[in-house]
Amino acid sequence: MYRRWLWPGFAFPGILWLILLFVVPFYAVVGVAFGTVDPILLQPVPIWNPLDWNVGWLNEVLHRLAPGGIWFDVGIRTIVYVALSLALCLVIGYPVAYYAARHAGRLKGLILILIILPLWISYMMRMLAWVNLLQTDGYVNRFLTFTHVLSQPRDWLAGSSSTVIFALVYGYIPYLILPLFASLDRIDRSHLEAARDLGASPWQAFRTVTLPLSKIGILGGAVLITLPMFGDYYTPNIVSQSPQTSMIGNQIDLYFHGGPQPTIGAALTFVLAGFLTLLMAYYMWSIHRAQQDVGAVGAL
Amino acid sequence: MTAVAERRTAPQFSTVTRLRGWFRNPWGKPRFLVLVTWAYILWSIVPVLIAVQFSFNATRSRTIWDSFSTRWYWGDPVDSVWHDPTLRHALVQTFKLAGADVLIAVPLGVLLALGLARWHGRGSGASNFIMLFPLVTPEIVMGVSLLLVFSELFTFIHTGTLAQILGHVTFSISFVVVIVRGRLFSIGRQYEEAAADLGASPFVALTRVLLPLLTPAIVASAAVVFAISADDFVISQWLSKGGDTDTVPIRIYSATRAAPLPSVNAIATIMLVSTLLIVTLGFLAWRFLTRGERGQKSDDLGALGL
Amino acid sequence: MARGEIDLVDLRKEFAEVTAVDGIDLQVPGGEFFSLLGPSGCGKTTTLRMIAGFEQPTSGQILLDGSDVAYTPPHHRNVNTVFQNYALFPHLNVFDNVAFGLRRAKRPKDEIKTRVGRALELVQLGGFEKRKSSQLSGGQQQRVALARALILNPAVLLLDEPLGALDAKLRKALQIELKALQQEVGVTFLYVTHDQEEALTMSDRLAVMNGGHIEQIGAPQDVYEDPTTVFVADFLGVSNLMDAHAKGARNGACLVDVQSYELEARAGGDVTGPAKIVIRPERIELEPHGSPPGPNRFPGMVERVVYVGSGIQVIVRAATGEALQALFQNTGKPIQYEQGTPVQIHLPAEALRVLPADIGEPAKDA
Repeated sequence: MYRRWLWPGFAFPGILWLILLFVVPFYAVVGVAFGTVDPILLQPVPIWNPLDWNVGWLNEVLHRLAPGGIWFDVGIRTIVYVALSLALCLVIGYPVAYYAARHAGRLKGLILILIILPLWISYMMRMLAWVNLLQTDGYVNRFLTFTHVLSQPRDWLAGSSSTVIFALVYGYIPYLILPLFASLDRIDRSHLEAARDLGASPWQAFRTVTLPLSKIGILGGAVLITLPMFGDYYTPNIVSQSPQTSMIGNQIDLYFHGGPQPTIGAALTFVLAGFLTLLMAYYMWSIHRAQQDVGAVGAL
Repeated sequence: MTAVAERRTAPQFSTVTRLRGWFRNPWGKPRFLVLVTWAYILWSIVPVLIAVQFSFNATRSRTIWDSFSTRWYWGDPVDSVWHDPTLRHALVQTFKLAGADVLIAVPLGVLLALGLARWHGRGSGASNFIMLFPLVTPEIVMGVSLLLVFSELFTFIHTGTLAQILGHVTFSISFVVVIVRGRLFSIGRQYEEAAADLGASPFVALTRVLLPLLTPAIVASAAVVFAISADDFVISQWLSKGGDTDTVPIRIYSATRAAPLPSVNAIATIMLVSTLLIVTLGFLAWRFLTRGERGQKSDDLGALGL
Repeated sequence: MARGEIDLVDLRKEFAEVTAVDGIDLQVPGGEFFSLLGPSGCGKTTTLRMIAGFEQPTSGQILLDGSDVAYTPPHHRNVNTVFQNYALFPHLNVFDNVAFGLRRAKRPKDEIKTRVGRALELVQLGGFEKRKSSQLSGGQQQRVALARALILNPAVLLLDEPLGALDAKLRKALQIELKALQQEVGVTFLYVTHDQEEALTMSDRLAVMNGGHIEQIGAPQDVYEDPTTVFVADFLGVSNLMDAHAKGARNGACLVDVQSYELEARAGGDVTGPAKIVIRPERIELEPHGSPPGPNRFPGMVERVVYVGSGIQVIVRAATGEALQALFQNTGKPIQYEQGTPVQIHLPAEALRVLPADIGEPAKDA
């Protein structure tokens, strides 16, 4: 019905844009990371030919990330922050998504709106809100001293890991709840009724029917929040003014805006991207496995 | 012959038995989940409401409430949003970037969505992959790569508004594609075929039939692009050259690390209201434009591919 | 004036892994109500879409009133389609939907207004101009789709299972309406369906398709009473297939052996070798146990009696081992055959058909 070149023709401008401003910039990172540094101007000299690549800086970065290197603690800390945040997000988010999907009844629309609402509120504003609350004379301290949980107001914003994790959870949890909700919402009620009919208790029905069927949603949500979280640097900077809570993202930020030593920053970015690609591959494999178990056909 | 069944009276259950049934009812609402959900919702939203409230504080404190005042919006001659040039320019810059983003990303994205959905030849798989990648790339990686490409390769573009716009469009296109493509799948090819069957040329089928049916998705994606552009921090910061090219999120960021005034709350509230307004309008437009289709096909979430 | 003649010459459509249409030849004279009947996947819809222009054939010709339109784009063919899901444009109201084709043809406004009004009257939807398709019931949407297609005076109207989404009672009513409409308008209707009852009710002629090719073409009565393949016999109703060994013709009838019984089939032709015999349920006769024996008679046992309202089904287990389904009109008299009683089965020779066993095995159960 349509000319054969029509659809590729439509796709062309967008793909060209993405190639020029998304794919090529990746190559710029690689070119700088595997390049050299001009000793006089202290500017990075990118090397575009893969055959001439200088792996010196990559080695330096890997050296620093390895046990004993100056970034080893940062790397471990980043992984711990992300893992703990993900766990907390799941613990809080799953019941919320579950309730909204399966039990909300007449209020389902309202609850859905309230759950989606934070996605439209600027991340910075949400962090700002907590920075205000966590001030020495903010509501949190005032409440805790009033109820005598604390004897003195505590400084929450000075290098506290728990504050950073708290902020990460607060910031990212809406992005976990949404795919979880979608996945739970899709589960047919008749599957659960069949399980109950065959003798399963409510908890068993949940464990053997709902949980496995929601695995895809859990994995999807996990991808959606952990990948960006690994690159997060602004959250620790906002809620903690201390290098003791710095994440890998902070290091990259430092070497571009603090130093600047773009070559090291580029090399570290390269390593981070590589790590995240592996993580992404693992996720895709898990989702593929989960889809096969369920027989689901899902795609973006 | 069949007769009407005789009326019989059922036995009465004691109050205790009925109460127990209420507790153990497997299809009733689990009280625990209700609690957790509403606690989460409050925890999620109330802090922001408090921040909004403090933007109307009469004193310079963001933590101790005095009385209602609009000084931080326009009252204070030095530090209010209206009078403080850094804040005002940040607002302008944010809207500028968001507007440009919508005007460029939406058409590109709609065309790309149409192309990817219908194209099955060589290269379509790779193109689809390229389109999906920005959605899973961490912003810092994108920020670094854009900064480097402008400083080492495309050196005719310097950091500043143009670079920021280019960056915003790059991560926005994929959102448009996903939204429009979802709508395309739910429409199917039947209407274009019916149009052709009735004598419409391919051009007419596209413009008079397909495009009107895509309008809800186009409007919704414009609203979404506006929201994510207004909210963007990392790309805007990395491609900013300071001063007027700083956006509202950048201002909030730098302010929270210093000793901010409630004017920060004010500017954040202004952006909040603007974004929510636009998103709500987009959503209402979607509902209005698809009002003839409800009840027949899948729900809106399904059409969005969620 | 277009005659509406369709001629498919060795039409073939291959997709990546499957051949949907395997070289079919078909001729439909103008003004006929013709059905393509077959199970899902038999190629009937693909054939229809090729005639409409939404698929391009791999090879072959599609002759419309003599000219080959196989590679003409759909908007240039004088053929219109009623889609399975109606495909009424959601953003337009009934008037704009029906007027769509006329507007593309740039007809003047008042002509459009008159013709749309007449078209809606034709399908009994006068006064519905301002409604949106979401405000219409399934049956009403179907009629708008019909009006929208017919208003353009096509040479041929293609209908792709248009009644599939409606409930049984509405479907039956619309079948009668469609048939009456076709006769009134005189346009060639090419109707695709998997419902054999529908095809038998409405068609002047029909083609039974299976696996991409045509098994048999003919008038409903011929195809039902005289199936030429086992598939056609089985698809068009209960066939009561029995394995047999044909011995060739004698005195104008074909002799077959069903185990130890010799049966005569009046319209069997000269078939020899392994065969299947077919008899329709309404032609089976049951005689009380102990009746005098005769040709085409053998004993059996009543297995089940099923009351289906307008008739009574009796499942008998023949002495040869098969379960045969007999159908009797419900005349109001009490049922004479009780479950578990022996009877004598009579398969009248005029009703018996013989088919060579290797032609057209029945489609596998879904």
